[in-house]
Amino acid sequence: MNGAQHILEAFQRHQIDTVFGYPGGCIMPLYDALVDSVGVEHVLCRHEQGCALAADGYARASGRLGVCIATSGPGATNLITGVANAHRDSVPMLVITGQVPSALIGTDAFQETDVLGMALGIVKHSYLVTQADDLPAIMEEAITLAQSGRPGPVWVDIPKDLLLSEVSAGLPAVSQPATPEAIDISAALDLLRSARRPLLYSGGGVSLANAEASFRRFADASGLPAVVTLKGIGNHRKTDPNHLGMLGMHGSRAANEAVEACDLLFIVGARLDDRATGNLTGFAPKAKVIHLDADNAEIDKLRTADVALGGDLAALLDRFTDAMTAHPLDITPWREQCQRGRTTKSFQSADNEEALAPISGPAFVRQLSRIAPDNAVIACDVGQHQMWVAQHYQFDHPRHHLTSGGLGTMGYGMPAAIGAQFACPGQTVINVSGDGSFMMNAQELATIRRYNLPVKLIILDNQCLGMVRQQQELFYGNRESQIDLDDNPDFVAMARAFDIPALHIERTDQIRRGIETILAYDGPMLLHVAIAREENVWPIVKPGASNQDMLDENQQRQEKTNSKETAA
Amino acid sequence: MSQPAAQEYQIECQMTSEPAALERLCQVVRVRGFEVTDVSASLRQAQWHIALTVRSSRSVEMLRKQLEKLHTVERVVAGATATVARRSA
Repeated sequence: MNGAQHILEAFQRHQIDTVFGYPGGCIMPLYDALVDSVGVEHVLCRHEQGCALAADGYARASGRLGVCIATSGPGATNLITGVANAHRDSVPMLVITGQVPSALIGTDAFQETDVLGMALGIVKHSYLVTQADDLPAIMEEAITLAQSGRPGPVWVDIPKDLLLSEVSAGLPAVSQPATPEAIDISAALDLLRSARRPLLYSGGGVSLANAEASFRRFADASGLPAVVTLKGIGNHRKTDPNHLGMLGMHGSRAANEAVEACDLLFIVGARLDDRATGNLTGFAPKAKVIHLDADNAEIDKLRTADVALGGDLAALLDRFTDAMTAHPLDITPWREQCQRGRTTKSFQSADNEEALAPISGPAFVRQLSRIAPDNAVIACDVGQHQMWVAQHYQFDHPRHHLTSGGLGTMGYGMPAAIGAQFACPGQTVINVSGDGSFMMNAQELATIRRYNLPVKLIILDNQCLGMVRQQQELFYGNRESQIDLDDNPDFVAMARAFDIPALHIERTDQIRRGIETILAYDGPMLLHVAIAREENVWPIVKPGASNQDMLDENQQRQEKTNSKETAA
Repeated sequence: MSQPAAQEYQIECQMTSEPAALERLCQVVRVRGFEVTDVSASLRQAQWHIALTVRSSRSVEMLRKQLEKLHTVERVVAGATATVARRSA
């Protein structure tokens, strides 16, 4: 068995049945081995970035390992953004690249790049295989490492000659997960019981640890008012009365005010990202902190924890649930205060009742949320539409919301939707995109067509880079710079050129029909939605400011009126 | 916003030999906001033994945890220069 065949053997041993890739010179031995392989479906994307982002979407939607494959040089460099995306959001991913033959490394050979060096900062770990006999052990270690602890991408770079070499080393034993140690939670319980205004703050770490069920049991048993990060959306049941929504730069006023008022933050699987916390000095200024995280390096990184607990989140949360069930918290006044905030200060968006009115982004997303099935997977791109989805779509599970949180990768949505559709063939998968983001990986329309994936594509088209335009308006004196996209292609014609049916809507009374049409269609379909150029995402916190200083539309309107009056 | 004054720290690290081992370590040191002012490293029995002097206004404990996360790092000791010097003496 040669090196390439050993890679496929490792896939089989770990039940890896779907991989996303693009062939080329130095990875050809692996593609040759694929011809005879059984049980591995190779998905040919149209750009290596699409491969990596599809593997990311596959992993997030399913909880399984995402795998992408490319050749050396440009194949590998094209993967970089997708791998960085997975790294920033702790997505389990295995990256396999061919490298120029061992003897040519360092000679500036055709399609040679120092992938190991380039990728150091965007991987959990990486390997350059130097001997064929090392390959079985490296594959085993890489697959295990990518999925253990805090997951992340692991990159294996293999010179072409080693893919072709006979491997004499035997197969390593399949790694077994370590048994979690029992951890003393008494100090955390003491803090929790002495708090008058405790707040549950959860992030993407909940689903990364497969702790969704344990988390919900804890949320129910504790009755803690709760906020989530962008990646924590879906952690709570839709109907959880204590859930105040997303916090942070585009968070709800109810969530940000609860953070400001709380006297204890109970943080689960969140890393206190700057988009969530705003200026740290103004963040939860009166609160003590209990921090549960699988990654010890996140503890005390940005905010000192009074009690820190690491290890298996599900097991930890179950122990807190037992304690809460035995002795419930007495925080009724605080809970009621937060529930009032949830009613009066959550995301606001009046549905426009005028049939002929232009479509508002938030109103469209709210309709989509009402019409789409509960288990639909929504893959977003990056920008205003991403925030409208985060604010207004009601998710019932974190794996139904695929979003590029850490890296903020425009062009993420369509490849991620492709990956999600392979992971969840029976579920509705919808890519909600903007006109800017859509064009960043538009070539993947061909992948959707090739595999006849029933992905639904929605473009909220405001003919500009809306989030940049919004920040230029609000924070740069309305000096617009390089944001116009009014020469966009005809997206309907473009989809049809890929043999994907499409339709266009522009009025409020067309929303329901448009959404129902694409959802009912048996196959891929695109809905092009014209929205107003000037619409902003509200509320907003100025980058670097405190969450307490969030701006909403009414304040902004008032400010504009005042400045006009002053000028007059 | 005023930055805390930069301090000098010494880090002792032991890691498995592999391609790019030293680069991996130095990349983390740099990206986490530390400047290397002195370095010595030796390879003995497939293990790198590395001593770094670094300077930063950031917490060296944060750096220690980030280095500890590296898959091939076996051991990290970090502290103010004088402390580590006494330990290694």
